[in-house]
Amino acid sequence: MRISGDVLALPFDGIDTDQIIPAMHLTVIEPSGLGPHLFTGHAELSNRLAEVPTASIVVAGADFGCGSSREHAAWALLERGFRAVIAPSFARIFLENAYTNGLVPVVLARSDVEACLRARSLEIDVDAESISTDGGERFMFTLDPVRKTFLEGGGYLRYLHAKIPAIRTWAAART
Amino acid sequence: MSGTYFDALWEAHVVESLADGNDLLFIDKVVAHEITTPPGALLIERDFGDALFDPRAIVAVNDHVSPANDAATAEQARHLRGWAKRHGIELYDVGDNGICHVLVPERGFVRPGMTLCCGDSHTCTLGAFGAIAFGVGTTAQAGAMLAGCVVVKRPHVMRVRIDGVLRGAASAKDVALTVVRTLGASGARGYALEYCGSTVETMSMGERMTLCNMAIEAGATTGLIRPDATTRAYLHDRGVPFALEERWYEHARVSGTYAKTIEIDASGIVPLVTWGTDPSQSVPLGQRVPEAANDGALAYMGLRPGASLEDAAIDQVFIGSCTNSRLHDLRVAAEVLRGRRVSVPTIVTPGSQAVKRAAEREGLHEVFQDAGALWTHASCGPCLGMSMGVLAKGMRCVSTSNRNFPGRMGAGGRVHLASPVVAAASAVLGRIPTPSQLDELTGAGVCV
Ligand code: SF4
Repeated sequence: MRISGDVLALPFDGIDTDQIIPAMHLTVIEPSGLGPHLFTGHAELSNRLAEVPTASIVVAGADFGCGSSREHAAWALLERGFRAVIAPSFARIFLENAYTNGLVPVVLARSDVEACLRARSLEIDVDAESISTDGGERFMFTLDPVRKTFLEGGGYLRYLHAKIPAIRTWAAART
Repeated sequence: MSGTYFDALWEAHVVESLADGNDLLFIDKVVAHEITTPPGALLIERDFGDALFDPRAIVAVNDHVSPANDAATAEQARHLRGWAKRHGIELYDVGDNGICHVLVPERGFVRPGMTLCCGDSHTCTLGAFGAIAFGVGTTAQAGAMLAGCVVVKRPHVMRVRIDGVLRGAASAKDVALTVVRTLGASGARGYALEYCGSTVETMSMGERMTLCNMAIEAGATTGLIRPDATTRAYLHDRGVPFALEERWYEHARVSGTYAKTIEIDASGIVPLVTWGTDPSQSVPLGQRVPEAANDGALAYMGLRPGASLEDAAIDQVFIGSCTNSRLHDLRVAAEVLRGRRVSVPTIVTPGSQAVKRAAEREGLHEVFQDAGALWTHASCGPCLGMSMGVLAKGMRCVSTSNRNFPGRMGAGGRVHLASPVVAAASAVLGRIPTPSQLDELTGAGVCV
């Protein structure tokens, strides 16, 4: 899988899920209709998004997606056309949500993230786990080998579904 | 790092170890609320024939916007209701509900030795009972309902040792804020926090829940406290059988080795209030906010570098949320408000219907209402800016909740996190109190 596209640079640490998608928009039964509200939790973020409407890769500061567990954050990013987020670190629940929805979470060293922040566009080779900037720089990253297999649509639940007989056996034998 | 209570509990639930530190972890109880459950329930219905692993292992609560306040939230509540009914899942609904993290322990759904998950980051509250409880996304919650397991990375265990006696108006909330301040907003990422020490041992279950509630605010996977006589007494009072958990009380006596330990002296803890836009950004009452502006946090909060917080007029006070809405919290807030009047709109939201009724039996609702505060039904209330008490841009609220993120209680709204006693004092003054004002209002002795 390859992802190439323009960069939305959000050089701030601790962009939490309330900023990504404020709670007032969590009133959906189906995960749709969230895209227009992406980043409306903080004017600074929504202004930057408005400047690069074509962007498909977020490059952000550390601890991206901290706070609320709302998967709506990943859904809103995907609906607005984002395919990957690059950051020095992610909050656990957001990271899990990104993988289960096929939004590629790329962890890079801060200096490499800074190079990506300066780039206008990036190309991510998900299989090879590498990134190239339009300035010709190239960085390697590592995806979680288990969760990488969940990136394909519905992979997480299909994986668990296949495990049900083994889980039932384990539960029955449990002391 | 091995042999801790957390490790033993985790290992007892590993169905399969996967690559890179991930485990297929068995989940004993799934808590399902109306905001994050319906999309996952729909996935199971559409792709997997609607079959659940064990409906008896699920408890459903309409809590975030309850009763519904518009057609969309009504649809969410209706969906949870219909789904629970179809599967025979126990549901707590309008009139008999409350914030899931407050209600679940009251109704005996959490016991030592259990694993729990919920599509809600504050599920870590339940770690107070010696359980491994953590928040997950909608899909992972759906997975736990479908297959009884989650795929999750095993955290390291960090011991947070808190010793000494809390002084003056310092409370469990100030301990929680101190832990977050010490570790930073992401300093516990990849860890489970095990709180221990004499301060924790003497805390009530309510206070322990306040402490565990904010583990996520330091980025931890969860927080927990080893079960002891206090845990046992709480469960006993609620008629929860604990014979099965006996071995976990035994395990709790073994300490094991920790990946990391931090130590906090409780006697040095003073009432804190947040000045910024993440929960680690707090200062003791009466101290100035930092000189160095931090990521625009001060600008967002409408504060000058080095400003005194008591100079900023506040527009609203909220006492409630899964952090501070239990009976003890309401009692201490009521003590400050008794015989006084609030000077700004003040919303008091009990954490559950059971808390509400217990508070009313003690007459606390009269105290709040005599003071001019709004005494509401039980729910998440204003905490997440989804229903009542939403802030407009620039409005400043002192809140006993757990998050002061930009926009948390409404776009552009400013939130200062504090304890119930500080929030109640702020309601009277219309400003964040100085330590001496707080002393005066609490009639308490020392508050350094
Ligand atoms: S009270 Fe607030 S933090 Fe707690 S569960 Fe409800 S919305 Fe979340």
